[in-house]
Amino acid sequence: MNNLEKYKKIFCESFSIEENMLDDNLEYNSIDSWDSVGHMGLIANLEEAFEIMMDTDDIIDFSSFEKGKEILKKYNIEM
Amino acid sequence: MKEEKTEGFSLDFMELQEYQQNRYPYLMIDYVDEVIPGKSAKGYKNLTLNEWFFPKHFPNEPNMPGALMLESLAQMLTIAITTLPGLKGKTTRFLSANLKFKKQILPGDKMVIETEVLSWKRGILKGKGIAYINGTIATEAEMVITIPDILDQYTPKK
Repeated sequence: MNNLEKYKKIFCESFSIEENMLDDNLEYNSIDSWDSVGHMGLIANLEEAFEIMMDTDDIIDFSSFEKGKEILKKYNIEM
Repeated sequence: MKEEKTEGFSLDFMELQEYQQNRYPYLMIDYVDEVIPGKSAKGYKNLTLNEWFFPKHFPNEPNMPGALMLESLAQMLTIAITTLPGLKGKTTRFLSANLKFKKQILPGDKMVIETEVLSWKRGILKGKGIAYINGTIATEAEMVITIPDILDQYTPKK
């Protein structure tokens, strides 16, 4: 499984959504399950899967599915 | 008023109210024997027939409602976090619980409560708690609780 596949899988599992919902429109609070609690679950799952520890500023900036890809590049996770 | 501490210490009925906001009739712990901030809290609640819920639950068979047993565990567990520096008296919110009821709690019982923090990260507390009556497990639960003030510090701002 490459990084993009892993990234998508974590989103689907964290928010209980199908892969066809992973697009430019998927943002924080755009679906019920991506609320403040869901956000922390997503971050925790990403940190565990990619074995990283994200900075607070990056956690706050992680506001969408697409933005998340940019942020993970800082941690040498290319997609 | 006690200073915020990091070693184990006890809290009486007045002191524990400084660390959490539940009040009568919803304060479900009486005494904290030992809290180690960020790690654990244990203490007890004594129950008499004067408890507000016994006359209604149930008139002919008074016993402590399961939801309130869970509340007792949650209140004790949150003490383990709200005694950390800067969190005194913060409002908490239940997110989920996985629990088992094994024994009724009756008037005259002393509910001994032991809780442990499994993780505390970015405003989300995961922990477990067990309530004993006379050394027998009455109920046990794994709980997820948040402090919204802390959680909100880590969420995207729109």
